[in-house]
Amino acid sequence: MSGDSEPAERKAGASASSLLDRPLPPGYREDWARHFADTAAVSNRVADSASADQTVVIFRIGAEWLALSTALFHEIAEPRRIHSLPHRRDDMLLGIVNVRGELLVCVSLAALLGIGDGPSSQRSDRIKTFARIVVIGREGRRLAFPVDEVHGIHRYAEADLTATPATIGKAAARFATAMISWQGRSVGRLDDQLVLDTLDRSIA
Amino acid sequence: MLFLMFRVGKDRYVLDADQIEQILPFMEAKALPGAPHGVVGVINYHGAPVPLIDLSSLAVGRPSATVMSTRIILIRYPSAEGTDRRLALCAEHVVETVSRPASDFVPTGVEAGTPAYLGPVAADAEGLIQWIRAEALLTAEIRAILFQDSGAAI
Repeated sequence: MSGDSEPAERKAGASASSLLDRPLPPGYREDWARHFADTAAVSNRVADSASADQTVVIFRIGAEWLALSTALFHEIAEPRRIHSLPHRRDDMLLGIVNVRGELLVCVSLAALLGIGDGPSSQRSDRIKTFARIVVIGREGRRLAFPVDEVHGIHRYAEADLTATPATIGKAAARFATAMISWQGRSVGRLDDQLVLDTLDRSIA
Repeated sequence: MLFLMFRVGKDRYVLDADQIEQILPFMEAKALPGAPHGVVGVINYHGAPVPLIDLSSLAVGRPSATVMSTRIILIRYPSAEGTDRRLALCAEHVVETVSRPASDFVPTGVEAGTPAYLGPVAADAEGLIQWIRAEALLTAEIRAILFQDSGAAI
């Protein structure tokens, strides 16, 4: 049985578990008791769970915050060298990347959506952002594209969606089905199917 | 099968995740003076009283530590009338799930002297984990005490 001699790999998580094993702050149990005593929350929660079944991964390309279905995402990796392909010199196809030994076609979502890689890709309101290579795919076909920043998974309700504004760029408007309001920003909810189909065609 | 893992005393136990409705923070419970052993009180779950059983105090005789990883596991408890009642269990270190086939669990061989809720065990790198049968946690008489208002809506 698990006694006082914990295996080494468990020790690595020791700091994490000490966080979990910290004592409860004062008022914690009383606050939660009050929270769950609230009868009004039941009907709201049921209503929420019916419509809040959509999750997206929010990422940034240039100045645009965009979202694709979480189910599409296979991996978010550190940026790495993109090897260009000889005799393929279009904007959409950047080349191939090595993601954990697998060579993946790397495409430019910025070119697909017509997002300029202007000075707006440098954000001033944060000290540092982390560019990433994102691997998406379906039915065994995987491809990668670089993004300037990945926020993470966001869950939204159908009610949080708003129509795309008319002022949005023409190319982006084709792919964005709706806008999600998130942290005071509008995030373009891209059409998963359409984006993948178009990317597939562009690299064929 | 997916199981929720937790600790009682030093040892690890699991509950079938299918039975679990929600994991709640270790909230304050209304005490029930004179309640049967292991029943520490009643929590108010959106207006419905749910009996809270402290697995630590039921099994090893001391209450669960008041730390962040102690949580309340809200389970659906099959009752005699065929309708499910809710039962809240609190245990320590409710931070992990494990996925194991049910066939991994083998009888301990010492069932005769142990409480009915202790099920078969499965081995892993750290030792043994024991399946807790939630439906056997309450003896018939405790069940009668806790759920006697069977006419009331859940």
